[in-house]
Amino acid sequence: MLLSETDMSKPNDLVQGTLDLLLLKILALEPLHGWAISLRLKSISGDVLQVSEGSLYPALHKLEQEGWITAEWKQTENNRRAKFYSLTRLGKRQLESEAANWLRLSTAISQVIQISEA
Amino acid sequence: MRMEHWWYTLPLRLKSILLGRRAERELDEELQFHLEHKIAEGIANGLSPKEARYAAMRAMDGLEQRKEEIRDTRRIHWLTDFLDDARYAIRSLRRTAGLTAFVVMTLALGIGMTSGTFSMVDALIFRPYPVPHPSGVVTLVSTTHDSSFDNFSYREYLDIRGNTDSYDGVIANAEMEAVGFATEPKATPRVKGGMMVSGNYFRVLGVEPRLGRGFREDEDQVPGRDAVVVLGPAFWEHEFASDPGVVGRQIRLNGTNFTVIGVAPETFPGMLIFGHPDFYVPLAMARVFSTSLQKKFFEDRDDRELNVKARLKPRTNLQQAQNELTVLAKNFEREYPQVNRSRGAAVRTQFEMRTRDDDGNWKFGVIFVILALAVLLVACTNVAGLLLSRARARTREIAVRLAIGAGRFRLVRLLLAESLILAVLGGFAGIAIGYGVVAWFHSFETVVFNSDLPLAIPFQMDTRVLAATLALSAVSTLLCGLAPALQSTRVDLVNGLKSADVDMPGRKRLWGRNMLVVAQVSMSLMLLTASFLMVRGFQRTLQLGTDFAKDHLLMTSFDPRLMQYNPAQTHQFYNLLAERAREMPGVKSVALTENVPLGGDFHGVLFVPDGFQMPRDRENFNSIMDTADEGYFETMGIPILRGRGFLASDTADTPRVAVVNEQFAKHYWPGSDVVGKYIRLESRDGTPVEIVGVAKTIKYLSTFDKPMDFVYMPLTQNPIARMVLMLRSNADPLQLVPSVKEVVRTLDANMPMMQTRAYEDLYLNQAVKGPAIAVKLVGAMGAVGLLLAIAGLYGLVAYNVSRRTREIGIRIAIGAASSDVLRLVMGKGLVLVGMGTIIGLTMGFAIERLMNSMLFNAGGVDILAYLVIVPSLFLVTMLAAYVPARRASRISPTQALRYE
Repeated sequence: MLLSETDMSKPNDLVQGTLDLLLLKILALEPLHGWAISLRLKSISGDVLQVSEGSLYPALHKLEQEGWITAEWKQTENNRRAKFYSLTRLGKRQLESEAANWLRLSTAISQVIQISEA
Repeated sequence: MRMEHWWYTLPLRLKSILLGRRAERELDEELQFHLEHKIAEGIANGLSPKEARYAAMRAMDGLEQRKEEIRDTRRIHWLTDFLDDARYAIRSLRRTAGLTAFVVMTLALGIGMTSGTFSMVDALIFRPYPVPHPSGVVTLVSTTHDSSFDNFSYREYLDIRGNTDSYDGVIANAEMEAVGFATEPKATPRVKGGMMVSGNYFRVLGVEPRLGRGFREDEDQVPGRDAVVVLGPAFWEHEFASDPGVVGRQIRLNGTNFTVIGVAPETFPGMLIFGHPDFYVPLAMARVFSTSLQKKFFEDRDDRELNVKARLKPRTNLQQAQNELTVLAKNFEREYPQVNRSRGAAVRTQFEMRTRDDDGNWKFGVIFVILALAVLLVACTNVAGLLLSRARARTREIAVRLAIGAGRFRLVRLLLAESLILAVLGGFAGIAIGYGVVAWFHSFETVVFNSDLPLAIPFQMDTRVLAATLALSAVSTLLCGLAPALQSTRVDLVNGLKSADVDMPGRKRLWGRNMLVVAQVSMSLMLLTASFLMVRGFQRTLQLGTDFAKDHLLMTSFDPRLMQYNPAQTHQFYNLLAERAREMPGVKSVALTENVPLGGDFHGVLFVPDGFQMPRDRENFNSIMDTADEGYFETMGIPILRGRGFLASDTADTPRVAVVNEQFAKHYWPGSDVVGKYIRLESRDGTPVEIVGVAKTIKYLSTFDKPMDFVYMPLTQNPIARMVLMLRSNADPLQLVPSVKEVVRTLDANMPMMQTRAYEDLYLNQAVKGPAIAVKLVGAMGAVGLLLAIAGLYGLVAYNVSRRTREIGIRIAIGAASSDVLRLVMGKGLVLVGMGTIIGLTMGFAIERLMNSMLFNAGGVDILAYLVIVPSLFLVTMLAAYVPARRASRISPTQALRYE
């Protein structure tokens, strides 16, 4: 079953800026085109993180305009032309700092939560 | 980080700007790719193709919205919006191509005239010296009662150089002068322009020679020792075909061998506005060049022939430098009371030097720019009026746009885009016209300069002028476009939607248009006044005449110093020359003079009139003078009113004599006979000179002269090296040229004859053709201004009438006669024209005073000018109002009420 069809929850379920981090991380592994990215998003995060396909492309284009990822038209394995995104040097740095940020934040939050439980 | 960011993003922005369509295609393709996979996935999951497609589209959350979101990420919408505005503006301008062309031409004329005349002011006032850090270069001047811009002597220059602390070097140069140039001893010298400069000249100015080197300090220390020369860039190109091997070669200047040591760079055509020296030589070589024969250049402290400039130290201000120089001038006055009594010194900036009071060129330039700006203003009011009426006709369109939610700012931007495009087109066409004006100025090069020296008209459309022109176009955009744009977006929506064309209640709107009419009338009145006054002033001076005979005169100049004659040889040469010329057939009389009237650079003479009560603060008086021989007054047809002219019996051994003009006699001995009175040269104890005659006052410097004091000295008692030979002939004076050449050949085959021409030719250039340039220019501006104003006025009045068509229809329907309507419409026009006339008259008086004080030296108001201009302008503008008014009065009420 496709998530987006059964469940209409929107990407604002995601914490602000998280989508950027996810996309950067996915592209850090290998260059992908948009469709593959959307598949990867689903398979990696399982059913927990839901990203509307509609907001995927604006997010990608924003990252591109920021200079964090770069796009290139290449042939797919099915011999079709597709736009492949890959991480730039700038993007790598951005990913590192955002990932570090995220870790700091989530650790802090989980600590807070544990205190209140105790 | 920032830099790197731009490294990645700049190409993307450029791509989205330049390849907008491709980006769109790629975006489509990318999304299409996604959708296809999604549909395929749907079908694989068991949906029908139609359902799969539907689901895929839904998953996108609105394809078009997403696309728009993505477009926004490109962050260029300010640009694409602007391009949209521009495209829309071009489309709507093209719909009214005729009107657009008219507006562009109007603006182009205004802008072009302004930029053409500004090129003049730019060259005369604003263009910085062609050296590095030009603002640090100041001029040091000696000041007296009569002059705030006097030169310094060599001795004074050395003292200034040695006793000042404010400068990174003090330099001096003599005037550019005619020098006999030859590449080998046998060749006849040709006249070129050379300039004596101090040894530190190039170093202090920061000019790096393009070839070889500049002067060394020690090359300017021992008089006559180092015969070295630095060539000017243009001279090197023309005379030596840019030969890089020129350094080390010998050339002959005034018969002396000089070694070429360097070539000045292309970027340094010299420090003068008009002149571009062909070469530079050290001051120490002054012996070879023309310095005063009566004074010793290296010794006499009052032989003031040097222009002194200095480069201020970085942290020294003008005031400090001025204080230091004032102290120095006080010291001079104490130590050398004879030659420095009541003489001060001042530091002048380049701007102060360029806008000196005793120079007329820049004043012409400023007046021209003021007038051109008036033309531009008329053009702008025209355009504003046109845009206003256009925008008014679009009231409904604007109201609709506002009603469906367009921001007012956005609409103002749209309307401004139109005027911006008009201004850009007008600006470019204006620059083309500016180039035309400059080319037109250049076509008068030979008229303006009657000289063998390298002089050129310096006006060009350089970057400063172009920048000013573009700025002007931008300002005119705002002037023309902003007010109409703001007004037409202030629409009452309810009424605006109801009718195509509705006036706001209140008078605000009308007030704006009426202002335009008033501004146009007053501006064109001022322009007309200026051009009329210019023409009249010019005609008056021509009618007054010069009071001497200009026809049948041949002139040719000699400078025996070019051939290294000593004073005795020079004397002998001129004696023989005059004697043999007198014997030539066809010659009625012959004269030698240092300068010809209207064509020369008269020297001054300092004197004390005997028995005259000198003011306490003055040591002596100053007058311009000429040196001439005994044939001069007869040959030039200058009447001797009392006493006698010069005689052959006035020689170097007899008591000194002088002839003064009538003005001089009236000035110093009013009411008594001056023949037999004495003046003393320089001071109370100076050489006595007896006044033996009074000559009629003529025009000396220009035909615009007011009467001025003048003194003549005989050549025998006041020897001068460079003289002009004047021959009065029975027939065409140019027929005498071959026989004069023959006479000169028998005296010295190598002696160059300079500026050989009919005197009348010089007179025509100086007094008729030269001023005619100014008259034509101002006349053209007046004509253009008037034409534009008439067109604009007609348009505005006609528009106002058409706006009132319905009202007029109603008036006629309830019984108004067509004469009533005519009176109504004309009355309005009359009031406006009347107001414009009053304002224009005020400005006309102002410009008349300005022109009188700056150019014509005439006081009073030219009543006739106003008697002609005001009624004619009134008539013309009334006519512009009458035609539409008449049309209005003939409107049939049924038609008028149905109007819209």
